[in-house]
Amino acid sequence: MPTRIHPVLGAFAALVFLFLLAPLVIIIGASLSDTTYLTFPPQGLSLRWFANIFQIEAFRRTAITSLQVAFLGTGLSLLIGIPAAYALNRYRVELPRWLSTLFVLPILVPEIVFGFSLLKSITIAAGLPVFPSLILGHALLVLPYSVRVVGASLASFDFSIEEAAMSLGCPPLKTFMTVVLPNIQAGVIAAFILAFITSINDVSVSVFLTGPGISTLPIQILAHMEQFFDPTIASVSVLLMLVTVGVMAIVEATLGLTFLTK
Amino acid sequence: MTVSLTIENLSAHYGTTQVLKDLSISVAAGELVSLLGSSGCGKTTTLRIVAGFLQPTAGRVRLGDRDLTTLPAHARDIGLVFQNYALFPHLTVLDNVAFGLKQRTIAKPDRVKRAMAMLERVGLAPLADRLPSALSGGQKQRVALARALVIEPPLLMFDEPLSNLDAKLRIDMRVEIRQLQRANGTTSLYVTHDQEEAFSISDRVAIMNAGRILQLDTPEMLYRKPANAFVARFVGFENLIRMKVTGRDGAVVTAEAIGGTKLHLSQDVFGAIKDDFVLASRADGLTVRRDGEGIPATLGTRTYLGRAYQYKCQTAAGEITANGALSDPLEAGTRAMLTPVPEQCCILDPED
Amino acid sequence: MTKLAKWGLPLPATIAVTVLLIIPVTLTIATTFGEAKGAFSTYAAFFNSGFRRAVLWRTLEVALITTALSLVIGFITAYVIAQMPGRLKSIMIIAAVFPLLTGVVVRSFAWLIILGKNGIINDTLMSIGIINEPLSMLYTEGSVIVAMVYLFVPLMILTLTGVLEGIPRDLIEASASLGARPIPTFFQVILPLATPGLIVGAVLVFTGSFTSYATPQLLGGEKQMMMGTFLYQRAMVTFDWVGASTVAAIMVVITIAVVSIMSRIARRLNPMAV
Repeated sequence: MPTRIHPVLGAFAALVFLFLLAPLVIIIGASLSDTTYLTFPPQGLSLRWFANIFQIEAFRRTAITSLQVAFLGTGLSLLIGIPAAYALNRYRVELPRWLSTLFVLPILVPEIVFGFSLLKSITIAAGLPVFPSLILGHALLVLPYSVRVVGASLASFDFSIEEAAMSLGCPPLKTFMTVVLPNIQAGVIAAFILAFITSINDVSVSVFLTGPGISTLPIQILAHMEQFFDPTIASVSVLLMLVTVGVMAIVEATLGLTFLTK
Repeated sequence: MTVSLTIENLSAHYGTTQVLKDLSISVAAGELVSLLGSSGCGKTTTLRIVAGFLQPTAGRVRLGDRDLTTLPAHARDIGLVFQNYALFPHLTVLDNVAFGLKQRTIAKPDRVKRAMAMLERVGLAPLADRLPSALSGGQKQRVALARALVIEPPLLMFDEPLSNLDAKLRIDMRVEIRQLQRANGTTSLYVTHDQEEAFSISDRVAIMNAGRILQLDTPEMLYRKPANAFVARFVGFENLIRMKVTGRDGAVVTAEAIGGTKLHLSQDVFGAIKDDFVLASRADGLTVRRDGEGIPATLGTRTYLGRAYQYKCQTAAGEITANGALSDPLEAGTRAMLTPVPEQCCILDPED
Repeated sequence: MTKLAKWGLPLPATIAVTVLLIIPVTLTIATTFGEAKGAFSTYAAFFNSGFRRAVLWRTLEVALITTALSLVIGFITAYVIAQMPGRLKSIMIIAAVFPLLTGVVVRSFAWLIILGKNGIINDTLMSIGIINEPLSMLYTEGSVIVAMVYLFVPLMILTLTGVLEGIPRDLIEASASLGARPIPTFFQVILPLATPGLIVGAVLVFTGSFTSYATPQLLGGEKQMMMGTFLYQRAMVTFDWVGASTVAAIMVVITIAVVSIMSRIARRLNPMAV
């Protein structure tokens, strides 16, 4: 790329970053307000709305559900996605092309359509309880990350290493665990993080799959907003942002954040 | 209009490391000069400064009577051939070649005509409508060459242009580059790490190391008369023996090295010999003999070269490679003498 | 052995996609053709209703405007980022990634605080006396578009930074060495080479905003019903499942059509391939 940047372009980019970050700052400010309504800049500083989150049982319950669903759903998607990604790369020429397209479908089909269809067939027609439906729905929603991101790191994996291990007498499963997996570790971590974040923030699928007594945090936030417009929501949002900060710190420590532009 | 390129006292830094140290070189009008050296020697940095992609921390670049030093790259009017060809992948061969003409706001019919004429010259006219992705490596390099030549630049520069081609193509291409450059009489600067390529294509070669030019000379002179130990090693003088003069008798000098070596060298052949010097030779500059004057050695591994036998020899001055006659193969372990062939040796100042 | 692995390893994922996605979505679409009044009667009903047509047009309009704005904003920003020196570049990428990893609900909610009746903009304007009555900025097409652009610009920035960084520096130098000034280099070299990436980014944003639910729900409300919120309303409020399925089918058809046409165009335009 050329070297110098026109000052107008630079100023434009600075405004874009202001546009991107200011709303988040505003949320943080609003969460600290001492008032009973949402306002920015905050009037009086207080942590009472953070304390309030823990007083509302629904937030606690749905947060736990969200974490459970995200862990189990992401785990399940990796469990079925990694072998698929492996096969797609290892037997690239032999497997039909549509197979790799198949695993991108959850991105291609609008989430809201997917959620609605799952509700009709799995929860209502097949009578599956809400919690397992949520897990299955989320697992499928994030399956493309497992297959594509892990696949991307497998694409640069030299499969002759694997053959070398086997020729030295290492059985297939052990070869995968000791030779392949350590080499695609970065891809697996990245897939897990992207999938986890997607799952924990999901609205479009969860909105159909929540039922009496079981809901996820984003859905609970939406429901709370319909009744109250107090700083509690801002406080919850700040907590969710802290989760994001934590995740980004993990990414930075393990892979480096520029990984995400690839 | 052929003009000369003058680079004066160029210095360049990457951060705090100095990559060019007060480098000066001038390329005469119509001449092709190569910068030759291993990676990191500063040859590419020099080229990038001349091209305008890097700013020097000191020094000037002049082309004819124009001072280029502060000019942006697009205003320098230099034809540049890149290592990776750098063909625009979204443009056809013809459009690639016509790109520079378009920037010079030459009307379309004229620029198509001139680009086609240039493609004729490099033998690629039939491929004018192809995209670069449909070309072989050699064809891509010809397009790159045509694209640089068609703007009729007063200076052509080549950045390791042949390093991505296979051996045979490389030889064909360098002949072709040389012919085109001669025919146009364009002043040229050529960067490479390949000695054979530099020697075969250039009028003069500058051997570089650590940001400096160590010797700038014709290929013949560099090959026969390296000016210092670094250049000597670079052009294949593998045996460097430190010697001290112990006696002088007219033109003949008596010199000794550690381990009982005593040689008589004529200043008529070598020129003036200082008291402390290095005798440098390639393997064929030392002949393995059973006896006579020379460097005492114990022979090691023998290799058959076709025209001679080559021996790895142990001497008091270290390991030395020397050739011996086919008529008299010697076994490993034999004690022998290594006799210098004066025309094949040269005398250098000691390093450091 | 190889054969078993080859087909066995992708099998669980294949079954999952088939059972949980393909069959349910196919069934959803199939129910729209099973009406007594004729196979296409639900579609006729959809397109005969002025309200529903308006929902579809509004959704398309919002998605297109969002895409166009995100493209321009994202491309310029990515262009600046791509030319930054290493350290600053990583900071800017982190600043772009952070909103991306923050949830849709949180990011849409921010605009409620900004655009609301007692929001920051109204407060500011009233306190400096430009207006006396608060403006109603929420529940308009504009509020949805602003929030959507906010939602999708980071994605565009990341995609396009990758694309621009993928353009070899050689080509830009070659262009300069042939006498092209920065602006011709931009239009004749950088832009054409980035076009396939721009298309990919545009498709991501278009499908994302066309099918979004949470943002139009929060910032558009009942007044600015869009396809996503309309589907939800049909399904979960009025329990008109056939109507909801019709909306779903239209969304699927439009999404898949846009994706397949545009990715075909992108592939044809991709000079870096091969």
